[in-house]
Amino acid sequence: MLDFVLNLLIFFIITAVFTKELALEVQRSGAVAGQKESGSIMISISAEGEITLDNRLVDVRAVRANVERLHALKPNYGVMVVANQNAQTGVLVQVADQVRQGGVENISFGTSE
Amino acid sequence: MPSKRHSEESGETGIDLAPMLDFVLNLLIFFIITTSFVKAAGVEVRRADAETAAHRDDGNILIAIRPNGEIWMDRQQVDLREVRGQIERLHVERPDDTVVIVADKASKTGLLASVMDAVRSGGIQEVALGAAGSSGE
Repeated sequence: MLDFVLNLLIFFIITAVFTKELALEVQRSGAVAGQKESGSIMISISAEGEITLDNRLVDVRAVRANVERLHALKPNYGVMVVANQNAQTGVLVQVADQVRQGGVENISFGTSE
Repeated sequence: MPSKRHSEESGETGIDLAPMLDFVLNLLIFFIITTSFVKAAGVEVRRADAETAAHRDDGNILIAIRPNGEIWMDRQQVDLREVRGQIERLHVERPDDTVVIVADKASKTGLLASVMDAVRSGGIQEVALGAAGSSGE
């Protein structure tokens, strides 16, 4: 019985996974490009990774400041990120991170052709 | 000769196993409780950095998307059309599980969106995007 318990113990020690996943919470939106969702700040990402916010091309590092400003103007608004299908996921995650740093937790995500 | 005498002595004393058994059983219970059975994806991907990424205790189905469009879950490569069925099966097995999609930096957002939709149609609504912490965790 002791052998059995020790074997079980070794099994659980080996299979135990202590790493916890780092992740960002992002909602999925069915909206497509051009269809502006009411009550949200629109950020679009082109296939080349260019970020357009408020009809202006902005750098990734400038997204945070812009979102902070717009969030101060319209505190109830969420952020809608519309990425081109061929845009790289890395840019999307960076933008989502910047938006969260800018104080908006409610991020939804859609794609465009 | 000295070795023979030594073995006779140890045979007489004997060790009390009861406290050790208690300890081992406690350890065993601890590991059974803390094991979370994470369904690892099985491939390495380069995650995007994010400063606000939070640790999720409940994200235990991992889906990896590689830059060439391959989708990996549960240590095997799957087709986009298989994702929904797999998620349905896992959702029935453990209804509390949530999904973390770990997409490579260079993977396409179109595929990410398709995978996300497949997971949601498979019955799991809580989907998060995997990222790397800024501190290199």
